[in-house]
Amino acid sequence: MNSSIVISQSDGRPMYLQIMEQIKQKVAVGEWAPGEEIPSIRMMSVALRVSVITVKRAYLELEREGVIFTQHGKGSIVAKDPGLGPRLYDQEFEEHMEQVVRIGSLLGLSEQQIAFRLTETAIRLNEAQQNDAVSSDEDLAKETL
Amino acid sequence: MNTYIVKRLIFKDWYLYRGMLVGALILGLGTTEAIALAKATWIAVIMGVIVLATIIIGMGAIITSTSVNERKQQTLPFVMSLPISYIEYTTSKIVGSLLMFGALWLALVLGMVATILSTPWFPHGMIPFIVIMSVEMLASTCLIAAVSVTTESQGWMIGITQLGSLALNAVGFSIVRLPGIGGTMKSATVQWSSTSITILLVEFAVIVLIIATAFFVQSRKRDFI
Amino acid sequence: MTDLAVQFTGVTKQYKHFTLQNVNLELATGSIMGFVGANGAGKSTTIRILMGLIHQDSGAVKVLGHDMPADQAAAKRDIGFVSEDMRLYGPATVAWHMEFIRSIYPQWDKLYAEDLLRRFDIKKEQKVKGLSHGQRVKAALLLALARRPRLLVLDEPTTGLDPVARREVLAELTAVLADENRTILFSSHNTLDVEQISDQITFIDRGSIIDSANKEIFLDGWRRLRLMLPPNTPLPQLPGVVEVGGSNRLPVLTISHFDPAMVAACQQAGASVQAVDPMTLEEIFVVNVQNRREKAIA
Repeated sequence: MNSSIVISQSDGRPMYLQIMEQIKQKVAVGEWAPGEEIPSIRMMSVALRVSVITVKRAYLELEREGVIFTQHGKGSIVAKDPGLGPRLYDQEFEEHMEQVVRIGSLLGLSEQQIAFRLTETAIRLNEAQQNDAVSSDEDLAKETL
Repeated sequence: MNTYIVKRLIFKDWYLYRGMLVGALILGLGTTEAIALAKATWIAVIMGVIVLATIIIGMGAIITSTSVNERKQQTLPFVMSLPISYIEYTTSKIVGSLLMFGALWLALVLGMVATILSTPWFPHGMIPFIVIMSVEMLASTCLIAAVSVTTESQGWMIGITQLGSLALNAVGFSIVRLPGIGGTMKSATVQWSSTSITILLVEFAVIVLIIATAFFVQSRKRDFI
Repeated sequence: MTDLAVQFTGVTKQYKHFTLQNVNLELATGSIMGFVGANGAGKSTTIRILMGLIHQDSGAVKVLGHDMPADQAAAKRDIGFVSEDMRLYGPATVAWHMEFIRSIYPQWDKLYAEDLLRRFDIKKEQKVKGLSHGQRVKAALLLALARRPRLLVLDEPTTGLDPVARREVLAELTAVLADENRTILFSSHNTLDVEQISDQITFIDRGSIIDSANKEIFLDGWRRLRLMLPPNTPLPQLPGVVEVGGSNRLPVLTISHFDPAMVAACQQAGASVQAVDPMTLEEIFVVNVQNRREKAIA
């Protein structure tokens, strides 16, 4: 269970973020079920060969985000909140949107321009998806003939 | 003083130097045998004694300079990381190396005395002289041990060894002229004169002084590496 | 009040060409401290004072509750020490060394020792003089680890090891901390290792401790700010700027105590913030040392 988390040294992000992300993915995917016990900070530190303080930080942040819950002296468990998956995706969505806004302001776009471009992109991608669906149906139809 | 750990350190040195010790013993006893079996010529005897003295002095220097080797071979941090104080380390070095050398020395001196006693043509009157010279070698080896432990320098150790050899010759030549010694050397019986006893006592006192000084110098040191 | 495994207070040691001055160090039980510094900065001297092998000129040193160097024999019973300049006895075998250590330390764990032999790939019956450098280092580490000492003091434990051996050693070191009563202090040039496994990082340069902090907080504080300045705009004045690089229009500020408010401050001063880059320990180390050297020359 422990060794399935892999830390990459060439990943530029701080290690605690990598750990957090991988734990969140495990929870989102269901590998670690709500209410299930997760390895203690020290055990995780030994398994990942990463300092205790880094793992501690990751766990603290995860607790702050409501992903895990630490009982004093008894270790940590995955939080029992349902909808953790959707909540995590929602978080990612927020983070990406903030990125878009930051880059947009660097480009000198106004708030309306950014919103406009966002809507444009959404429409364009939707159309492309529908077209793909149509053409793959056609391909499928051709093959069955 | 943690005698258990001092013993462990002494045994360690005995183990590491066991080859040399055994080799020197064999060589030395072989030489005394050769002297016993040689024809009754003074040349053969003198050659034998010189070889014996060389073995004792040479081996003495090697066996008692384990401290110099610890520093040279960089094993000092390993030993000092053991649960010992510096005085315990010094004790193990001085006591250990003198015990090792002492064993060799005793074996060879007894061997030489036995050779003299069992050889008919060898005047027993030589024995006091031989014993005095042997104790002199013991004293100069103690000095080498003390210098090795306190300076941990190969240069100093070699220097003192040379000095010791010179001193051996100087002492030998000067005391032979004393009537209490030179006069009775050729007699057939062992004769201990007051001169020879005095000289022996002085030598032992010097040995005690050397060892005490070594301990004193070591106890004043603050840095061990 | 956390239990301190090591405590230095105002420690000073003077040599002819080098002075260790006013060293203050605190190492909490159950943590790993990475000790970083250039060659000759004073790492080995500090470690030797810690072990009681050198007597400090002034200041107090407490290790595992013992005063050093007075109480060193007792302290060393619970300390495992491996230094880069340490050698084992060439003509003797690894097995002999293991038996020698076992005879002195009752805490020797035979099974763990055999396990380490296997994992470090060392042959017990081989003479030490026949071992490669990496194997020798691992053998010395084995002798220290198998006693499960409360404090491990390691001077450059991974220097000269091949990448595989390094990983093995790091794995063993982090495994030590599964027991929260055990502590590690290690000095290393390998900033990647220090960054990964240390809880606390201490920087030493030319005899003085220039930083000693919780690793995460420390790394969080150092940032490189890449700015774009419109023409004729002066550089925003920020506190804690250690170095200014780049060009006039595209300056790069190296900051030691970063605060997110600085980004807003830059923008208000007319500069646009292109990037806020974290720095690796290696970059921080180099900037720190170079900066101090330049100041010393000035």
